[in-house]
Amino acid sequence: MWLTLLFLIIGVVLGLLTDIRIPELYASYLAVAVLAAFDTLIGGIRSHLEEKFDEQIFVTGFFTNISLAALLVFVGVQLGIDLYLAAVFAFGIRLFQNIAMIRRILLERFRYKRMKKN
Amino acid sequence: MKRKVLIALTALVVGLLGAILFQSNQAHQERDSRDTWEIRTEIREKQEIQESLLQQIREAEQRLDEYQHQNNQEQVELLKESVETLRKRAGLTEVQGEGIKITIEPIMADSDRVQKYPEIPPELLQRLFNELNTYGAKDIAIENERIIQTSPIRDVNGQTYVNNRPIPAVPVEIFVLAEDARELIEYMEVSKVNDYFAVENLGINYQLDFHITLPAYQQRIDFEYIRSAETEEGGN
Repeated sequence: MWLTLLFLIIGVVLGLLTDIRIPELYASYLAVAVLAAFDTLIGGIRSHLEEKFDEQIFVTGFFTNISLAALLVFVGVQLGIDLYLAAVFAFGIRLFQNIAMIRRILLERFRYKRMKKN
Repeated sequence: MKRKVLIALTALVVGLLGAILFQSNQAHQERDSRDTWEIRTEIREKQEIQESLLQQIREAEQRLDEYQHQNNQEQVELLKESVETLRKRAGLTEVQGEGIKITIEPIMADSDRVQKYPEIPPELLQRLFNELNTYGAKDIAIENERIIQTSPIRDVNGQTYVNNRPIPAVPVEIFVLAEDARELIEYMEVSKVNDYFAVENLGINYQLDFHITLPAYQQRIDFEYIRSAETEEGGN
């Protein structure tokens, strides 16, 4: 858990230090990609806590989610429909659900430990 | 352990992507990429504007001073003089002086194709006047129509109207007064306008003339739609 947080911070710092900027045109692609990656990450943490973690599912999920989201944005741009909203919506909901599950699991563990102590 | 590293690496990627996105969304600061020369020219331009503004202020103050230090009779005289100067500037009086005479003639090419008798489109006329004004023309008149600040040049049912009157068929004569007529002619002779006129089968002929009389603007100037400009730029 701490390793994840540490790496997240390292990533942010690296990104800020390298001063990479992408053209505005591709900003929406990156936005959806970030959301997809974040969703996969939270999903991974959840399955890890639930002891259901599968590396293959995790890795393939990461890449397919990102590519599907980017594809959706691309099609949306071509058709003039804001299709990326669909990706944002789907990932957003999943994000909330997963975070809620993580919270519950952590809370249960905390309570269990306390009970054990008592 | 392996799965922890995997999740951590994903976190790294997410952080990296997020940071890049954040940076890209920051407002791009406009970079000042002008070189010294450009800045110098701009300073020069601003200085010229400042100078001309100062000059105008000085003139106005002088005028005010004169008004205040004179008796009634002289004041009336001075006011009349001011009015006359203004009328002259607005183009309401006849003016004489050195300038150029421009003749616009049809070019009749020796070809088998049927040729239409050329007309002067309003856009070309506007362009010609703009060019003349750019190179130092003081006053312009086309045939008997004096061009003033608000003179309309437009297409009315396929005919070109200046000052709400149709201009006659070519050849048409345009009279231009200029501070330095010779220079104006030199500029105009190499101007692109000549090519644009040639496309319409119109040839332009420039001629130096030391005694040109421009007619006065004969209509009423309509101030209904005129408002004072709210720009920062000074000048005349």
